[in-house]
Amino acid sequence: MADQDNFTRRELIQLTAAAAIAGSAAPAGFANEQAPKFFSKDEFAMVDELTELIIPNDEHSPGARAAQVAVYLDGRLAESFEDEPKYHWREGLSRINALSQAMHGRAFMQATPEQRMALLTRIASNEEKPETPEEHFFRELKGSTAHAYYTSKIGIHQEMEYKGNVLLQEFTGYEVK
Amino acid sequence: MSLFFSPDRPNANDVDLKRVYDAIVVGSGAAGGMAAHVLTSHGMKVLLLEAGKKLNINKELKSMEWPYDHPRRGDIPPDTHALNRNEYNFRARPYAKGMPYSHVYNYVEGWTGGDYSKNIVVDEKDNPYTGTNYAWVRARCLGGKTNIWGRLALRLSDYDFKGKSHDGYGEDWPISYQDLAPYYDKVDLYLGISGHKENLPYLPDSLFQRAIRLTKSEMMLRESLAKMGRVLTPYRAGVTTDGLKHNKYRSRCFGRGACERRTGGCDIHAAFDSPTGLIYPALDTGNLTIRTNATAYEVTVDPDSGKARGVAFVDTDTGKTYEARARAVVLAASTLESARLLLLSKSKTYPNGIGNSSGHVGHNFCEHLMGPGVTGIVKDLVGKPRTLDDGRPGGFYVPRFRNLKDRNPNFIRAYGFEGSSGNKMFPSSALWAKGFGSSYEKQVRDYAGAFIEMGGFGEVLARYENYVDIDPEVKDKWGIPALRFHYKFGDNEKKMAADMSAAAREMFEEAGVEIVEVNREIRTEGWSIHELGTARMGTDPKTSVLNQFQQSHDVKNLLMVDGSSHVSASCQNPTWTIMSLAWRSCDHLADLMRKGEA
Repeated sequence: MADQDNFTRRELIQLTAAAAIAGSAAPAGFANEQAPKFFSKDEFAMVDELTELIIPNDEHSPGARAAQVAVYLDGRLAESFEDEPKYHWREGLSRINALSQAMHGRAFMQATPEQRMALLTRIASNEEKPETPEEHFFRELKGSTAHAYYTSKIGIHQEMEYKGNVLLQEFTGYEVK
Repeated sequence: MSLFFSPDRPNANDVDLKRVYDAIVVGSGAAGGMAAHVLTSHGMKVLLLEAGKKLNINKELKSMEWPYDHPRRGDIPPDTHALNRNEYNFRARPYAKGMPYSHVYNYVEGWTGGDYSKNIVVDEKDNPYTGTNYAWVRARCLGGKTNIWGRLALRLSDYDFKGKSHDGYGEDWPISYQDLAPYYDKVDLYLGISGHKENLPYLPDSLFQRAIRLTKSEMMLRESLAKMGRVLTPYRAGVTTDGLKHNKYRSRCFGRGACERRTGGCDIHAAFDSPTGLIYPALDTGNLTIRTNATAYEVTVDPDSGKARGVAFVDTDTGKTYEARARAVVLAASTLESARLLLLSKSKTYPNGIGNSSGHVGHNFCEHLMGPGVTGIVKDLVGKPRTLDDGRPGGFYVPRFRNLKDRNPNFIRAYGFEGSSGNKMFPSSALWAKGFGSSYEKQVRDYAGAFIEMGGFGEVLARYENYVDIDPEVKDKWGIPALRFHYKFGDNEKKMAADMSAAAREMFEEAGVEIVEVNREIRTEGWSIHELGTARMGTDPKTSVLNQFQQSHDVKNLLMVDGSSHVSASCQNPTWTIMSLAWRSCDHLADLMRKGEA
């Protein structure tokens, strides 16, 4: 972190002026509303569970559920101008339920944690060259989850312990002589 | 009270269309801003016409906003669209025609952070163009593309200015490095530039302020490249890292790292932009008048003298047309827009368009090709504690190394690489690590700081056959005929691109960097946003449009001070050269006008 005491008084005045301008029109973030905007309640529960399985809460930091990844994805899909992503997500979730029926004789959310894990392992097994619709959906699901999580407050600060986006007196790194 | 840093724009004079200004400058980017600065400093009364709007840039950029404080993490609104690579390659022109979105933007606005610059760039629906594939990025607002530029600020050398003497291709520039060096110095000192001295004849040093620092992997690559006789130098950034005592509108750089994070923009103006670097100080002289929302569509002519009389423009809000008059007209609307303006300016005196007796306007159009590059992992950095690696305005630059003393058998000219490495706000490892669960998260953490990448910028040869002209049918929102592209990469570019990706891989492998991906594909024409040529300088009025002072061979009081004047593209980024040439030419114009010779 930059040592604020190292800034000259004049520099602090400049920066405060810049920050005041930068902050004056900050948009509001999405409020965590009760009802999902795009997904049905059942679909939302499934997305919430799937994203948490991809980036779980662990000893290092809270996961996708705590970072409200499903809330963010739901909001983006609700405002999507195109119908295609909406269709793909709905279709993907129903395929996962169908696969869960085929593998375990029950829908995804009714399956045991071990059964859910087995299903996810199966659709993730061909990640580099996905072929089936379920494998393609896993890529979409994981990419969206990663994007939402690593741009979230928890993802940036707790999980990645990102140190930047601060005012520095001196550049970081190694000086070329 | 005197504040060193005052981001507010001073009041501009109201435009007076009854008077004859000393000069009209068309465009307010790097070239137009410089022309306004230099001409007003000589005491000339200047009218600056900007096609775009007045914009409070500080309200747009918000450099330090966290992604999670933006409703779409920096993405553009849902009813808008940014053209993607496939669309540039396969969609019919004009690209945005028939698209259902409320606004369509260029590809850059599709990157994370596009929402912060969407009001700076043009709406493709209002500004159509036709012809061959071209990813044309245009910014219309005070300052133009300098508000969001990449900031790599490099000098050209006589390897570039005297390219024909070196390999026989094309034309030499009508100037040498010695002619321009004093003006590069002036630009360095007036605007500030960060870098490290390397004493390379093919990439001359600037008068640098404090250099940025390198990451551990960049230091390692620098040492490895030195053994190959190649150089990795800290990003030469058009950023004031020590501050500028003579400019009250700009702060020094505080390494916030926003430069690398998103689509441009520095709201403390440590990075050069034309408004705070050039135009506001010019307003402070009292000699500058600015008219925004003023799209020039014709350079008007005095039929008796054959000289330029002024500029006709349309008010983009009202659609009304006006003519502003001046003793000299200085075009700085960008390489392609300035050429379009000449071609549109047809009269009895100039039936091919003003300044176009050579027939070369629009031709010899060139740029930098992009695409080939490499991404890798530095094994020693896997699993190391988190470090702050993006607290700086750029990464690194690898200058050209081909066709200096040797002659490559497959292609002429050269390329350089821009690169970066280490921990970033969005981890490079997140979309690379496989699997899911805690093991995935750990892999993302362990590898985030180990990534290093670089991408090439290669010289596209200036060819007469690569050109733009006016589309006979398609017009923009204001009824101004659109530009039509006839532009393709040739054999030299394809062979150079193959060498770029092979050399990038080789350099990483020599340094022991594990290769993750090698990019071989050339991106769509235009991707580098470095359009050059179209009105080249030269000594022969039959094969060039401008003389060495960017003055029309045909019309003595008409100058073109933007990238249109460049004779060849070089492989170095053009902005610093554009500004140095503009300074030199405007000094010359002021001198001519004092003597009554223009």
